[in-house]
Amino acid sequence: MDITSSLAAVALIALIHASFQLSVSVLTLLGSHTIGARMSHKKVLSLISSYVFGATTMTLLIVSFASLIFLQAFGSEVPLMAWAIACAVVLGIGIAVWLFYYRKGAGTSLWISRGFARHLTTRSQKTTHPTEAFSLGLTSVIGELVFIVPTVVLSALILIGLPSGWQMIGLVVYTLFSLLGLLIVWALIGSGYSLSSIQKWREANKRFLQFSSGGALIVLGFFVYVTRVIAEAAGAM
Amino acid sequence: METGGTHIIKRHRRHGIEAFSKDKLQKSVVAACLSAGAHHGQAELVAKHVADAVEEWLEDRPEVTSSDLRLATAKQLKKYHADAAYLYEQHRMTI
Repeated sequence: MDITSSLAAVALIALIHASFQLSVSVLTLLGSHTIGARMSHKKVLSLISSYVFGATTMTLLIVSFASLIFLQAFGSEVPLMAWAIACAVVLGIGIAVWLFYYRKGAGTSLWISRGFARHLTTRSQKTTHPTEAFSLGLTSVIGELVFIVPTVVLSALILIGLPSGWQMIGLVVYTLFSLLGLLIVWALIGSGYSLSSIQKWREANKRFLQFSSGGALIVLGFFVYVTRVIAEAAGAM
Repeated sequence: METGGTHIIKRHRRHGIEAFSKDKLQKSVVAACLSAGAHHGQAELVAKHVADAVEEWLEDRPEVTSSDLRLATAKQLKKYHADAAYLYEQHRMTI
Protein backbone atom coordinates (compact mmCIF):
# COMPACT_ATOMS: atom_id res chain seq x y z
CA MET A 1 0.00 0.00 0.00
CA ASP A 2 1.43 3.44 -0.91
CA ILE A 3 1.64 6.30 1.61
CA THR A 4 -1.51 8.12 0.44
CA SER A 5 -3.60 4.93 0.47
CA SER A 6 -2.25 4.02 3.94
CA LEU A 7 -3.10 7.46 5.35
CA ALA A 8 -6.55 7.34 3.73
CA ALA A 9 -7.13 3.88 5.25
CA VAL A 10 -6.00 5.15 8.68
CA ALA A 11 -8.37 8.14 8.37
CA LEU A 12 -11.27 5.84 7.42
CA ILE A 13 -10.54 3.48 10.32
CA ALA A 14 -10.33 6.48 12.67
CA LEU A 15 -13.80 7.57 11.51
CA ILE A 16 -15.14 4.22 12.73
CA HIS A 17 -13.47 4.98 16.09
CA ALA A 18 -15.18 8.40 16.01
CA SER A 19 -18.59 6.73 15.77
CA PHE A 20 -18.18 5.15 19.22
CA GLN A 21 -20.05 7.09 21.85
CA LEU A 22 -18.59 6.74 25.35
CA SER A 23 -16.38 9.85 25.17
CA VAL A 24 -19.26 11.84 23.66
CA SER A 25 -21.62 10.65 26.41
CA VAL A 26 -19.19 11.73 29.13
CA LEU A 27 -18.65 15.09 27.41
CA THR A 28 -22.43 15.64 27.23
CA LEU A 29 -22.76 14.85 30.95
CA LEU A 30 -19.78 17.05 31.83
CA GLY A 31 -21.31 19.93 29.84
CA SER A 32 -24.67 19.38 31.51
CA HIS A 33 -23.23 19.33 35.04
CA THR A 34 -20.97 22.34 34.58
CA ILE A 35 -23.77 24.47 33.08
CA GLY A 36 -26.20 23.20 35.76
CA ALA A 37 -23.70 24.16 38.49
CA ARG A 38 -23.85 27.80 37.30
CA MET A 39 -20.24 27.88 36.18
CA SER A 40 -19.28 30.75 33.88
CA HIS A 41 -19.12 30.08 30.14
CA LYS A 42 -15.34 30.56 30.30
CA LYS A 43 -15.07 27.88 33.00
CA VAL A 44 -17.36 25.49 31.07
CA LEU A 45 -15.23 25.99 27.96
CA SER A 46 -12.04 25.41 29.94
CA LEU A 47 -13.38 22.14 31.41
CA ILE A 48 -14.73 20.69 28.18
CA SER A 49 -11.55 21.71 26.32
CA SER A 50 -9.38 20.00 28.96
CA TYR A 51 -11.59 16.92 28.63
CA VAL A 52 -11.12 16.82 24.85
CA PHE A 53 -7.37 17.37 25.30
CA GLY A 54 -7.29 14.40 27.72
CA ALA A 55 -9.13 12.18 25.21
CA THR A 56 -6.72 13.35 22.46
CA THR A 57 -3.68 12.52 24.59
CA MET A 58 -4.93 9.03 25.51
CA THR A 59 -5.88 8.21 21.90
CA LEU A 60 -2.42 9.29 20.74
CA LEU A 61 -0.75 7.25 23.51
CA ILE A 62 -2.81 4.10 22.83
CA VAL A 63 -2.14 4.11 19.07
CA SER A 64 1.58 4.91 19.64
CA PHE A 65 1.84 2.11 22.20
CA ALA A 66 0.15 -0.44 19.90
CA SER A 67 2.40 0.64 17.00
CA LEU A 68 5.51 0.31 19.18
CA ILE A 69 4.50 -3.16 20.35
CA PHE A 70 3.86 -4.32 16.76
CA LEU A 71 7.08 -2.70 15.52
CA GLN A 72 9.07 -4.53 18.22
CA ALA A 73 7.29 -7.80 17.48
CA PHE A 74 7.18 -7.80 13.66
CA GLY A 75 9.45 -5.02 12.37
CA SER A 76 7.95 -3.20 9.38
CA GLU A 77 6.85 -6.47 7.68
CA VAL A 78 3.65 -7.69 9.32
CA PRO A 79 3.24 -11.50 9.01
CA LEU A 80 0.15 -12.90 7.33
CA MET A 81 -0.95 -14.59 10.56
CA ALA A 82 -1.02 -11.20 12.40
CA TRP A 83 -3.27 -9.72 9.68
CA ALA A 84 -5.53 -12.79 9.87
CA ILE A 85 -5.83 -12.50 13.68
CA ALA A 86 -6.48 -8.76 13.41
CA CYS A 87 -9.25 -9.41 10.86
CA ALA A 88 -10.86 -11.97 13.19
CA VAL A 89 -10.81 -9.44 16.05
CA VAL A 90 -12.31 -6.73 13.81
CA LEU A 91 -15.08 -9.03 12.57
CA GLY A 92 -15.80 -10.37 16.06
CA ILE A 93 -16.08 -6.93 17.64
CA GLY A 94 -18.09 -5.67 14.65
CA ILE A 95 -20.69 -8.37 15.31
CA ALA A 96 -20.54 -7.67 19.07
CA VAL A 97 -21.22 -3.97 18.38
CA TRP A 98 -24.28 -4.91 16.32
CA LEU A 99 -25.56 -7.13 19.11
CA PHE A 100 -24.57 -5.38 22.33
CA TYR A 101 -23.36 -1.80 21.91
CA TYR A 102 -26.36 -0.04 23.46
CA ARG A 103 -28.36 -1.42 26.36
CA LYS A 104 -32.07 -2.01 25.89
CA GLY A 105 -34.49 0.70 26.94
CA ALA A 106 -34.54 4.48 26.78
CA GLY A 107 -31.43 6.63 26.89
CA THR A 108 -27.98 6.03 25.47
CA SER A 109 -26.65 3.58 28.09
CA LEU A 110 -23.74 1.61 26.69
CA TRP A 111 -22.72 -2.01 27.17
CA ILE A 112 -19.96 -1.19 29.64
CA SER A 113 -19.76 -2.26 33.28
CA ARG A 114 -22.41 -0.41 35.32
CA GLY A 115 -19.85 0.28 38.06
CA PHE A 116 -17.59 2.03 35.58
CA ALA A 117 -20.52 3.93 34.06
CA ARG A 118 -21.50 5.12 37.57
CA HIS A 119 -17.90 6.13 38.24
CA LEU A 120 -17.79 8.22 35.04
CA THR A 121 -21.19 9.79 35.86
CA THR A 122 -20.08 10.69 39.38
CA ARG A 123 -16.69 12.01 38.21
CA SER A 124 -18.29 14.19 35.53
CA GLN A 125 -20.58 15.58 38.26
CA LYS A 126 -17.69 16.35 40.62
CA THR A 127 -15.29 17.77 38.05
CA THR A 128 -14.57 21.42 38.77
CA HIS A 129 -10.91 21.74 37.76
CA PRO A 130 -9.36 21.44 34.26
CA THR A 131 -6.90 18.78 35.54
CA GLU A 132 -9.83 16.59 36.65
CA ALA A 133 -11.50 17.12 33.27
CA PHE A 134 -8.23 16.13 31.56
CA SER A 135 -8.10 12.89 33.63
CA LEU A 136 -11.76 12.22 32.81
CA GLY A 137 -10.87 12.52 29.11
CA LEU A 138 -8.03 10.02 29.57
CA THR A 139 -10.30 7.61 31.47
CA SER A 140 -13.19 7.78 28.99
CA VAL A 141 -10.92 6.57 26.15
CA ILE A 142 -9.69 3.69 28.35
CA GLY A 143 -13.32 2.80 29.10
CA GLU A 144 -14.00 2.56 25.37
CA LEU A 145 -10.96 0.34 24.78
CA VAL A 146 -12.99 -2.85 24.33
CA PHE A 147 -14.70 -1.33 21.26
CA ILE A 148 -11.76 0.60 19.80
CA VAL A 149 -9.29 -2.32 19.96
CA PRO A 150 -9.97 -3.28 16.29
CA THR A 151 -9.49 0.23 14.94
CA VAL A 152 -6.34 0.75 17.03
CA VAL A 153 -4.85 -2.63 16.01
CA LEU A 154 -5.51 -2.16 12.28
CA SER A 155 -4.23 1.41 12.27
CA ALA A 156 -1.09 0.39 14.15
CA LEU A 157 -0.46 -2.46 11.68
CA ILE A 158 -0.81 -0.03 8.76
CA LEU A 159 1.28 2.68 10.46
CA ILE A 160 4.31 0.46 11.06
CA GLY A 161 4.50 -0.21 7.32
CA LEU A 162 5.02 3.52 6.65
CA PRO A 163 8.42 5.34 6.56
CA SER A 164 9.22 6.69 10.06
CA GLY A 165 8.38 10.36 9.33
CA TRP A 166 5.03 9.37 7.86
CA GLN A 167 4.26 7.24 10.92
CA MET A 168 4.03 10.41 13.00
CA ILE A 169 1.75 12.01 10.43
CA GLY A 170 -0.35 8.84 10.41
CA LEU A 171 -0.66 9.03 14.20
CA VAL A 172 -1.86 12.63 13.98
CA VAL A 173 -4.32 11.73 11.18
CA TYR A 174 -5.76 8.87 13.27
CA THR A 175 -6.08 11.02 16.39
CA LEU A 176 -7.73 13.94 14.59
CA PHE A 177 -10.24 11.82 12.67
CA SER A 178 -11.07 9.63 15.69
CA LEU A 179 -11.95 12.75 17.69
CA LEU A 180 -14.28 14.27 15.09
CA GLY A 181 -17.48 13.33 16.98
CA LEU A 182 -16.05 14.71 20.20
CA LEU A 183 -14.90 17.93 18.51
CA ILE A 184 -18.35 18.50 17.00
CA VAL A 185 -20.05 18.11 20.42
CA TRP A 186 -17.33 20.31 22.01
CA ALA A 187 -18.03 23.04 19.43
CA LEU A 188 -21.80 22.72 19.95
CA ILE A 189 -21.56 22.98 23.75
CA GLY A 190 -18.99 25.78 23.47
CA SER A 191 -21.27 27.78 21.20
CA GLY A 192 -24.18 27.44 23.64
CA TYR A 193 -26.20 24.82 21.71
CA SER A 194 -28.86 23.14 23.84
CA LEU A 195 -27.64 19.97 25.56
CA SER A 196 -31.10 18.45 25.43
CA SER A 197 -31.07 18.77 21.62
CA ILE A 198 -27.67 17.04 21.47
CA GLN A 199 -28.84 14.21 23.73
CA LYS A 200 -32.17 13.89 21.87
CA TRP A 201 -30.30 13.56 18.57
CA ARG A 202 -27.98 10.95 20.06
CA GLU A 203 -30.88 8.96 21.47
CA ALA A 204 -32.95 9.19 18.27
CA ASN A 205 -30.05 8.00 16.12
CA LYS A 206 -28.44 5.47 18.46
CA ARG A 207 -29.55 2.39 16.47
CA PHE A 208 -28.27 3.93 13.25
CA LEU A 209 -24.92 4.72 14.92
CA GLN A 210 -24.76 1.18 16.30
CA PHE A 211 -25.56 -0.34 12.90
CA SER A 212 -23.08 1.86 11.03
CA SER A 213 -20.24 1.30 13.54
CA GLY A 214 -20.71 -2.48 13.59
CA GLY A 215 -21.30 -2.64 9.84
CA ALA A 216 -18.21 -0.55 9.10
CA LEU A 217 -16.09 -2.84 11.28
CA ILE A 218 -17.43 -5.95 9.52
CA VAL A 219 -16.83 -4.46 6.05
CA LEU A 220 -13.36 -3.34 7.13
CA GLY A 221 -12.54 -6.80 8.48
CA PHE A 222 -13.56 -8.46 5.17
CA PHE A 223 -11.72 -5.83 3.11
CA VAL A 224 -8.46 -6.24 5.01
CA TYR A 225 -8.83 -10.04 4.94
CA VAL A 226 -9.26 -10.02 1.15
CA THR A 227 -6.61 -7.39 0.33
CA ARG A 228 -4.00 -8.50 2.86
CA VAL A 229 -4.47 -12.16 3.72
CA ILE A 230 -6.07 -13.76 0.63
CA ALA A 231 -4.20 -11.58 -1.90
CA GLU A 232 -0.82 -12.24 -0.25
CA ALA A 233 -1.55 -15.95 0.24
CA ALA A 234 -2.59 -16.23 -3.44
CA GLY A 235 0.53 -14.30 -4.52
CA ALA A 236 2.78 -16.64 -2.54
CA MET A 237 1.40 -19.76 -4.29
CA MET B 1 -34.10 21.37 54.73
CA GLU B 2 -35.59 17.93 55.35
CA THR B 3 -39.35 17.77 55.12
CA GLY B 4 -41.97 15.26 56.16
CA GLY B 5 -41.25 11.72 57.22
CA THR B 6 -40.68 10.24 53.78
CA HIS B 7 -37.63 8.08 53.31
CA ILE B 8 -35.92 7.59 49.97
CA ILE B 9 -34.64 4.11 49.20
CA LYS B 10 -31.52 4.55 47.08
CA ARG B 11 -30.92 2.48 43.93
CA HIS B 12 -27.90 0.73 45.39
CA ARG B 13 -28.16 -0.98 48.73
CA ARG B 14 -24.80 0.33 49.95
CA HIS B 15 -26.16 3.90 49.72
CA GLY B 16 -28.98 2.88 52.08
CA ILE B 17 -32.00 4.99 52.91
CA GLU B 18 -32.08 8.76 53.39
CA ALA B 19 -34.68 11.28 54.44
CA PHE B 20 -36.32 13.26 51.63
CA SER B 21 -34.72 16.69 51.22
CA LYS B 22 -36.76 19.33 49.41
CA ASP B 23 -33.67 21.53 49.06
CA LYS B 24 -31.71 18.76 47.39
CA LEU B 25 -34.56 18.08 44.96
CA GLN B 26 -34.92 21.78 44.19
CA LYS B 27 -31.19 22.09 43.46
CA SER B 28 -31.24 19.14 41.07
CA VAL B 29 -34.24 20.61 39.21
CA VAL B 30 -32.53 24.03 39.00
CA ALA B 31 -29.43 22.29 37.54
CA ALA B 32 -31.54 20.45 34.93
CA CYS B 33 -33.32 23.68 33.95
CA LEU B 34 -30.02 25.59 33.60
CA SER B 35 -28.55 22.74 31.53
CA ALA B 36 -31.59 22.95 29.27
CA GLY B 37 -30.92 26.65 28.69
CA ALA B 38 -33.41 28.22 31.15
CA HIS B 39 -32.53 31.54 32.80
CA HIS B 40 -31.62 31.53 36.51
CA GLY B 41 -34.88 33.18 37.62
CA GLN B 42 -37.00 30.83 35.53
CA ALA B 43 -35.02 27.81 36.79
CA GLU B 44 -35.57 28.82 40.44
CA LEU B 45 -39.29 29.40 39.90
CA VAL B 46 -39.83 26.12 38.06
CA ALA B 47 -37.83 24.23 40.71
CA LYS B 48 -39.99 25.72 43.47
CA HIS B 49 -43.23 24.68 41.75
CA VAL B 50 -41.89 21.18 41.05
CA ALA B 51 -40.55 20.70 44.59
CA ASP B 52 -43.89 21.81 46.07
CA ALA B 53 -45.81 19.39 43.85
CA VAL B 54 -43.46 16.49 44.64
CA GLU B 55 -43.65 17.27 48.36
CA GLU B 56 -47.45 17.10 48.13
CA TRP B 57 -47.21 13.78 46.25
CA LEU B 58 -44.97 12.40 49.01
CA GLU B 59 -47.35 13.39 51.84
CA ASP B 60 -49.09 9.99 52.10
CA ARG B 61 -46.01 7.95 51.16
CA PRO B 62 -43.68 6.99 54.03
CA GLU B 63 -41.15 5.36 51.68
CA VAL B 64 -40.39 5.71 47.96
CA THR B 65 -37.52 4.53 45.81
CA SER B 66 -35.18 7.10 44.30
CA SER B 67 -36.33 5.94 40.82
CA ASP B 68 -39.98 6.67 41.71
CA LEU B 69 -39.00 10.06 43.06
CA ARG B 70 -37.08 10.80 39.85
CA LEU B 71 -40.07 9.76 37.71
CA ALA B 72 -42.50 11.84 39.76
CA THR B 73 -40.18 14.86 39.59
CA ALA B 74 -39.70 14.49 35.82
CA LYS B 75 -43.49 14.25 35.37
CA GLN B 76 -44.00 17.53 37.24
CA LEU B 77 -41.04 19.19 35.51
CA LYS B 78 -42.47 18.28 32.09
CA LYS B 79 -45.41 20.63 32.77
CA TYR B 80 -43.07 23.61 33.00
CA HIS B 81 -39.98 22.79 30.90
CA ALA B 82 -40.01 19.74 28.61
CA ASP B 83 -36.29 19.93 27.71
CA ALA B 84 -35.26 20.14 31.37
CA ALA B 85 -37.51 17.15 32.16
CA TYR B 86 -35.86 15.21 29.36
CA LEU B 87 -32.36 15.97 30.71
CA TYR B 88 -33.53 15.14 34.25
CA GLU B 89 -34.82 11.73 33.08
CA GLN B 90 -31.71 11.06 31.02
CA HIS B 91 -29.23 11.70 33.83
CA ARG B 92 -28.72 8.03 34.70
CA MET B 93 -29.22 6.80 31.14
CA THR B 94 -26.57 8.81 29.29
CA ILE B 95 -23.60 6.46 29.79
